Amino acid sequence: MVNYSYFPGCNLKTNAKGFEKSAIAVSKKLEAELVEIPNWNCCGTVHTMTTDNLMKRIAPVRVLARSRKHVEELKDSSQEVVTLCSMCNSTLKIVNSEVQEDPEKLEVINFQLEEDDETYSSDMEVKHFLEILRDNIGFAKIASKVVKPLKGFKITPYYGCMLLHPEVAKIDDEEMPSVLENLIESLGAEVIFSPLFKYCCGSYHIVSEEDIVTKQVQKIIESATVRGANALAVACPLCAYNLDQQQKMLMEKTGRKDVIPIFYFSQLMALAMGEPIEINHFEDHKIDPRILLKELKFK
Amino acid sequence: MSYEYIKFGQEEKKFIEKIESISGQNIYSCYQCGKCSAGCAFSGKMDVTVNQLIHYIQMGQKEKVLKANTHWICASCLTCTVRCPREIDVAALMEAVREYILREEPEKVKIADIPKDVLEKLPNIALVGSFRKMTG
Repeated sequence: MVNYSYFPGCNLKTNAKGFEKSAIAVSKKLEAELVEIPNWNCCGTVHTMTTDNLMKRIAPVRVLARSRKHVEELKDSSQEVVTLCSMCNSTLKIVNSEVQEDPEKLEVINFQLEEDDETYSSDMEVKHFLEILRDNIGFAKIASKVVKPLKGFKITPYYGCMLLHPEVAKIDDEEMPSVLENLIESLGAEVIFSPLFKYCCGSYHIVSEEDIVTKQVQKIIESATVRGANALAVACPLCAYNLDQQQKMLMEKTGRKDVIPIFYFSQLMALAMGEPIEINHFEDHKIDPRILLKELKFK
Repeated sequence: MSYEYIKFGQEEKKFIEKIESISGQNIYSCYQCGKCSAGCAFSGKMDVTVNQLIHYIQMGQKEKVLKANTHWICASCLTCTVRCPREIDVAALMEAVREYILREEPEKVKIADIPKDVLEKLPNIALVGSFRKMTG
């Protein structure tokens, strides 16, 4: 059993509980357990692209410092912090590489952290859970744990922006990724390619410019359904919220019926590996995935 | 075709330098190929395309830059950044324009104006993201 220092981020505790619980359950099954960092804080969600604002970099560096400490306490753990949320993944990776390249920046940030007796020495590596699944565990092992193959599932992998951008944070090729495809296939489901696999969902515009998000979601969903997909697999709680909630909104407003459920990749794994269905928190979804499970007679 | 005469004095230069210093990018690296605008998921919502906005910055046309909605529509998906043939961090330029404005007027989104039920409904990832981008 290997242990990983795991950074949940804010959403995995609120509206994406099913994402976290299913991922932790499958991580145990795969003997690569995700162990939560005690005392973590929000990473800041979006990374600042300014050169002169170190304030916005303190939060992610503090996360890295606490994870570094956590790793020492864990047994059989490498110096890696693992995330599930793709936005956390990108924010932490970018800041980590920035402070590795610029020790002066790190020194100023550490000066702020010293107040809490914490400093960071830029010796951690940030990994997304999908990278751990691909590189450390391998799809063959994942396939060997599948007890209920996802027969009849036609899933479009939707990467969103932050798993593939920018260069320092990407987990796969930015124009031709394959990690979600391989994972979905190893679970016994069919992959439906959509060219809009990383077409931005509108992100935080949901707060003040909802119609931008609506338009993006419409295009993303149509691009999947027109090719025959009956579900979408994601790794970002914001993509999931936008795609799920906007479909429901469109359904109520325009009466459109061709809605498809949004699964976190870990929920698909939990289903295929025979974990109890409750850990997926499907009741939190606006488009209930249990309807699809029933249609496909998945038990 | 009509031509427009523009002023290019100290004030214009200062604006360009400020955007360059916030973003850490050389604005004159851009040779106006338009790949950023062609691949932008939000071009249709922008009144000025991304490469046009960059051109305005190159010319120091501060008023035209600040009047555009381009940088507010940009959601930092970074597609332009990873595709730019001149390796310019285009999204960082959009962020620099936002920051330039927010450092003077820090509330593009007024948090107090968002209804309570909307605040409760939205996930924190959306709220934190929005407030980090839209407030100073």
